[in-house]
Amino acid sequence: MRPSNVTLTAPGPPDNPPVQERPRRTHHTPPRPLRVRAARSLPSILMVGPALAAVVAFILIPVVVAGRLSLTDWDGFSDSYKSLGLDNYVQLFHDPGVANAAYVTLVIAVVGTLACNVLGLGLAVMLNGKGRAKAVLRGLFFYPHVLGAVIIGFLWSAILSSEGAVNTLLTAAHRSKIPFLSDPQWALAAVVFVVVWSTFGVNVVLYLAGLQTIPESLLEAARIDGASRWQTFRQVVLPMLAPSVTINVVLVLVQLLRVYDLVLAMTDGGPAGHTQTYAYLVLSESFLNGKIGYASAQSIVLMIVITVLAVVIVALRQRSEKAVEQ
Amino acid sequence: MNRTAGSRVGSVMLGLFALVMLAPLYLVIVNAFKPESAIRQRPFSAAPGLLSTDYLRAALSSPDYNIVKSFGVTVMFVVLVNVLSLALAGPAAYVIARGTRRWHKGMLLVFLAGLFIPGQVLVIPVIYVLRFTGLMGTIPGFVLYEATLTLPLSMFLFVGYIKSIPRELDEAAQIDGAGRLRTFWQVIFPLMRPVVVTAIVLHTIGVWTDFVNPQIVLGPTSGLYTVMTGVYSAIGLHTTDLSVVYPTLLLAIAPVLVFFVIMQRKIVGGLTAGATKG
Repeated sequence: MRPSNVTLTAPGPPDNPPVQERPRRTHHTPPRPLRVRAARSLPSILMVGPALAAVVAFILIPVVVAGRLSLTDWDGFSDSYKSLGLDNYVQLFHDPGVANAAYVTLVIAVVGTLACNVLGLGLAVMLNGKGRAKAVLRGLFFYPHVLGAVIIGFLWSAILSSEGAVNTLLTAAHRSKIPFLSDPQWALAAVVFVVVWSTFGVNVVLYLAGLQTIPESLLEAARIDGASRWQTFRQVVLPMLAPSVTINVVLVLVQLLRVYDLVLAMTDGGPAGHTQTYAYLVLSESFLNGKIGYASAQSIVLMIVITVLAVVIVALRQRSEKAVEQ
Repeated sequence: MNRTAGSRVGSVMLGLFALVMLAPLYLVIVNAFKPESAIRQRPFSAAPGLLSTDYLRAALSSPDYNIVKSFGVTVMFVVLVNVLSLALAGPAAYVIARGTRRWHKGMLLVFLAGLFIPGQVLVIPVIYVLRFTGLMGTIPGFVLYEATLTLPLSMFLFVGYIKSIPRELDEAAQIDGAGRLRTFWQVIFPLMRPVVVTAIVLHTIGVWTDFVNPQIVLGPTSGLYTVMTGVYSAIGLHTTDLSVVYPTLLLAIAPVLVFFVIMQRKIVGGLTAGATKG
């Protein structure tokens, strides 16, 4: 009998008769009967099967179900529903609520992606290298990620409310209070600020990872050539970081297009819907009010927008990366 | 540019950033021990006369939200999801990474497609899939769904990593008589440690901070609260009473922050490794 443990480090003489080489299938040998082939690939099927089944059941089928529901007026409990064709989609493009949510989401996504990437890259360059202080700061910028958006939202709403810490400071300095959460424009600005506050730490970490891949010799060569810090950054570091930029932009953008819990906890979409994001609209306005069909149509549009944006950004970036190489 | 002046400006900026990052944390810690009036009038003060543990104790024994239980529930979910995720993604990634046929590639695409599908799209119809299978509002249903959501990322990380492990190892194991499943778990899986750590780190943060899925899939009727859904329902009722808000927030974040400080290197390191591998 063989030992039950598989050993890899025993190159000594085999204690078994020489292993027969598996016959290779060539054009000359006829294909094996289906039953034999099935038996041979059975282990593989058993290994992939469960994961595939889970993805099919909980990701692919739901997407198809969402697509189907988006063509109906189903409310979630009735036994019957009407097929509406594309009416939900037509309605969606004429819905001022959707337009407002799309605008809010766009502001958060564009400003947030820009800010997170500029901050992330800038701080990564400053924090690159060894040192205790640098390590501590990296952790400090990243920690909001383990708190959770609901908690961050409540926390900042307590700090920014009209009686919150910031306004108390302003009052003490004999300045007028700022309506962070009750004025439409201030509220949107506050949400963008908190989104960036809680997100850019991950960009710092990802850009640091990118910086590690730049060979020291390149930087040294630039230094010897007398390049200034800014020139080195512009001519050497930035081009080398191009793939990192792509990853960071796509990741943050995709994430910011789905902001929901933070808004729910921080402003609950207010004042008067001025911080209602698209994801907030889908889940809190449509889904919870029994407009399952309409909510499904809205969510399908979100999925299409995210996929198209991600593919376009990756394609554009690849093109510009190639242009840089040439 | 003058280098010393430049680095001084840099240090000042870093200090300001650090302050903006830390201020909320300071406010939570200080204000969790103060009465409402003191929070409103002197939010930054930590004068000993103001402080009392009454508010923390009240939050700890709040009838709306059993915080200790919610931690237990969330930790349980994190463990179950990670175990199930590894059990599903590991062998599948191995077969796909080693496969040469077209269907292997096709299957990888099916898994990766999940990366583009936002949770908001899924959560509505998933309710109907879960009702159909009788798993709605149950722990197995939630764990299964949440673990499935981790699969696209796991497959993305694992397949690339396994490809970097030489095939000779598989062949040696097979010559020694190990089947494919055993080859994977006993030979390949131990070598995947770095990427598995990355996956666990990312999935743990993901499950821990998830709000939408536990809120909707578990639902209020199940009586199961995670830290996120628990804090939401506890604070949702008292948003204006800061002497409830701050202690509740402190209780919810203190253990996580302690864990983060201890594990910081692993967490940030895992993320960094994931970024360069991907």
